[in-house]
Amino acid sequence: MKDLWAGGPPRGKEPPAAGAARPYTRGEGNNDTVLVVDDDTSILDTVTAILSGEGYEVVSAASGQEALAAVARKQPVVILLDMRMPVMDGWAVARALRQQGMSVPIVVMTAAESAKRWADEVGAEGYLAKPFGLDDLLAAVERFRTRGRPN
Amino acid sequence: MVIFISVALRTVRQPTRAHADMALFFGATAFVIIIARLAAFLGPTPAWLTPILVAVLMALPYILLRLVDDFTHVRSAIKRAAELGLVAGIVATYATAPELPAPVTLYLVVYFFGVSTYCAVAFIRSGRHARGVTRRRMEAISLGSILLGTDILISGLTPLARPDDRPVLQALGQLLGLGSGIAYFLGFAPPAILRRAWQEPELRAFLARAASLPRLPTTLDIVRELEQGAANSTGTTARIGLWQEDISKLRFWEDDDSTVEIEAGMHFAGRAFELQRPVFSSDPIRDNPDGAASYRSHNVGAVLATPITAGERRLGVLTLTATRPPIFAMSDIELAGLLADQAAVILESRALIDHAARVRAREEATRLKEDFLSAAAHDLKTPLTTVVAQAEFLERSATREPSAPADIAGIRRVVRESKRLAGLVGDLLDATRLEQGKLVGEREAVDLATLAQEVCAHDTSGQGICQVNASAPVVGVYDRRRVEQLLQNLVENAKKYSPERTPIRIKVWQQDGEARVAVQDFGIGIPAADLPRIFERFSRASNVDDRRFHGMGLGLFICRGIVEEHGGRIWVESEIGKGSTFHVALPLADGRRLN
Repeated sequence: MKDLWAGGPPRGKEPPAAGAARPYTRGEGNNDTVLVVDDDTSILDTVTAILSGEGYEVVSAASGQEALAAVARKQPVVILLDMRMPVMDGWAVARALRQQGMSVPIVVMTAAESAKRWADEVGAEGYLAKPFGLDDLLAAVERFRTRGRPN
Repeated sequence: MVIFISVALRTVRQPTRAHADMALFFGATAFVIIIARLAAFLGPTPAWLTPILVAVLMALPYILLRLVDDFTHVRSAIKRAAELGLVAGIVATYATAPELPAPVTLYLVVYFFGVSTYCAVAFIRSGRHARGVTRRRMEAISLGSILLGTDILISGLTPLARPDDRPVLQALGQLLGLGSGIAYFLGFAPPAILRRAWQEPELRAFLARAASLPRLPTTLDIVRELEQGAANSTGTTARIGLWQEDISKLRFWEDDDSTVEIEAGMHFAGRAFELQRPVFSSDPIRDNPDGAASYRSHNVGAVLATPITAGERRLGVLTLTATRPPIFAMSDIELAGLLADQAAVILESRALIDHAARVRAREEATRLKEDFLSAAAHDLKTPLTTVVAQAEFLERSATREPSAPADIAGIRRVVRESKRLAGLVGDLLDATRLEQGKLVGEREAVDLATLAQEVCAHDTSGQGICQVNASAPVVGVYDRRRVEQLLQNLVENAKKYSPERTPIRIKVWQQDGEARVAVQDFGIGIPAADLPRIFERFSRASNVDDRRFHGMGLGLFICRGIVEEHGGRIWVESEIGKGSTFHVALPLADGRRLN
C-alpha cells in the first residue's frame, strides 16, 4: 500500500494548507473524507460522482440530521453544506457542530446572492455559489486534502 | 308686527315671489290686528273701515293659498275658485255694509274656513315630501293655518251663539288666534336654536352612516352614499362633483356612471368652487343661461351649490337641485354647508386611506417581486448546478479516457435536470403571460374526453395508474395546448403527492350546461387551512416536503389562469391522508361557433 502514496510522507503531519484560515481538528486518521450535504439529490449525486472520481472518499447527506449523524460516525476534512434545506438548514447544522465542540471546516453551497455573507455568518472557510462548475468545486475542496492524489 | 317687519326686510333683500307673499300675509295679519286693537281702545270702527277690514281679512286665506302655490303646485281651477269666492265676499260685504246680514257673515266664515283648511292640508301634504327643517316648518305652518281657520269659524259664529256662551267663545277665539300666531312665527321665522334642533335628527342619521363611508370600496361608492344622504336630509336631488387635479375640472357622475366635467367658474358648481362660498339661485335659467336646456329637461327650478373644502384643500362641490325654489333658502344653505363639511371630512379620510393603501400595495408589490426573484433564482440555479457540473465532468472524463464506458447515470442526471429546468422556465414564462392575461391563444373544438385519454396514455410510468372515466365526448372551444397543459399539470400533481402505484382517476362529463373534469388522487391531501390559497402564486401546501417535491408553486396558479381565461372555474376538495380531487368546469361548445 505504501507506494500508493508516492508523493512522500503523508501531508497530514504538515501545517494546514495555506488556504485554511484557521486551525481545525483533524479527523481520526488520515483520510480525505468529504461530507456533501444538500436536499437536492441530483446535486448530491453529481458532487459525489465528481469528487469520488478525483479520489475523495465522499459521504452524502440529504438533510441536516443526516449530516450530523455522518459527522458523528466519521469526521470529514471538509463539509460542503447547502444552506436552504427544510427542517434543519445549514445554519442549524453549523450551530450544532459548534455546540458539539467540532470545528470541521465548512464550505457553504448556495444559490442565494448573499452566499458570502452567509458563509461569514456560519464561520465557513469558503463558499460555492450555485451554479458552480467542475473547477470551482475541485478548487474549493482541494485545499483541505490531507493526502496525495492517488495515481 | 315683528314677523312682518323681519319678513318685509327679507323680501327687500331677496325679492322672490314666496318672500313677497309672506310679507303680504303678515302685513295683512298685522293690519287686521292693529285695527282690532285700535277699535278696542277708540270704540267702534268707523263704518267705511269695516268693508276694508273685512276685505283684508278675507284676503288672508287667499294669500295663504298663494303661499301654498309657492311650495307646491295648486291647481289653477282651485285658484280661480278662491279668487271668485274672494271677489264675491268683498262685493257682498260692500253691498250690505255696514250691517252684515247673517248669510253674508256665514258665507265669509265658511269661505275663510274652507280655504285655510285646504291650505293646511296642502302644507301637510307638501311637508310629507320635504325633509328636516323644511318639513318641521311646513308642519308648523299647517298647524297655524288650521288654528286660524278654526279661530275665524268660531269668531264668525260667536254672534249667532247664545249670549251666555259668547265670552267663552271669544276667549277660545283669542286663544286660537294666539296659537296660530305662534305656529306661523315658528314656521315662517323660526329662531336659530329651533332650526338647529330640527336639523339634528337628519344630521344625526347622516353622521351615523358617515362613519363607515370612508371604508367603502371605491370613491364613487362614497360619492353615491353622500349624495343619497344629502338628498334624504334636504329633500332635494344631490350631486357631488370632485375636483380632478390632473385635468383641473370638477367631475360629476351621472346615474349611469357616465361623467360630466365642469371647469372652475362655470355653472353654479364651478362658481361655488371658485368663490369658495355657497351659490344659490331660485331662477337658474335666468342666472345661468348656458345650462338652460339641462335645467328645462330636468325640471330644475332652484340650485344650491356649496363648496366641499377640508382646511385648505378644495375637494369639490355639493350641488342640490329642486323643482321649485325652497321657501326657506337660508336654512337649506345652512344645512347644505353642514353636509358639505361632513362630506369633506369623509372624502379627506378616504384620500388618506387610499394613500396608505397605495403605499402598502407598492411595498407588497416590491416584496412579491423580491420573493419571486429569489424563489426563481433559487429554483433555477439548483438544477443548473447539476447540469453545469455534471456536463463538465462528463466532458473531462470523455477527454481523459475516450475508451471508457459512458457514464450513463451522469448523462441521465443532466437530461433529467435539463428537463426540470425547461419546465421551470416554461412555468415562469407562463406566470408572466398570465399576469398580462395572455395565456390562452388560438382556440379550436377540443374533445376533453379524448384529450384526457391522451394525457393518461402519455403517463410514462407505464403502470396504468391513470384511468379515464368518460362515456361520451365533451366538446368545447379551447386552446388545445393550454387545456392539455392543464390536465397534465393536474395529473402530475396528483402523482407527485400520492404513494407510488396508487391510481389517478380522471372523470370527464357534462353537467348543467358545463364541461366538467375531475382529477382524483389518493395521496397526502391538502390541509384545510391551505385550501383557500392553494391556487395562488408560490403557494404550496404546508405538508409538502420541499425535498421530495420539487416545484415553484406555480403549477396550480397557471392551471387557474388557463381555466379562468377560458371563462371556467377550478376548485379542490381534499382530505388529509385520503387524497384530493381537483374539479374543473369549462364552458361547453356553442353550436354556432363550432360550425
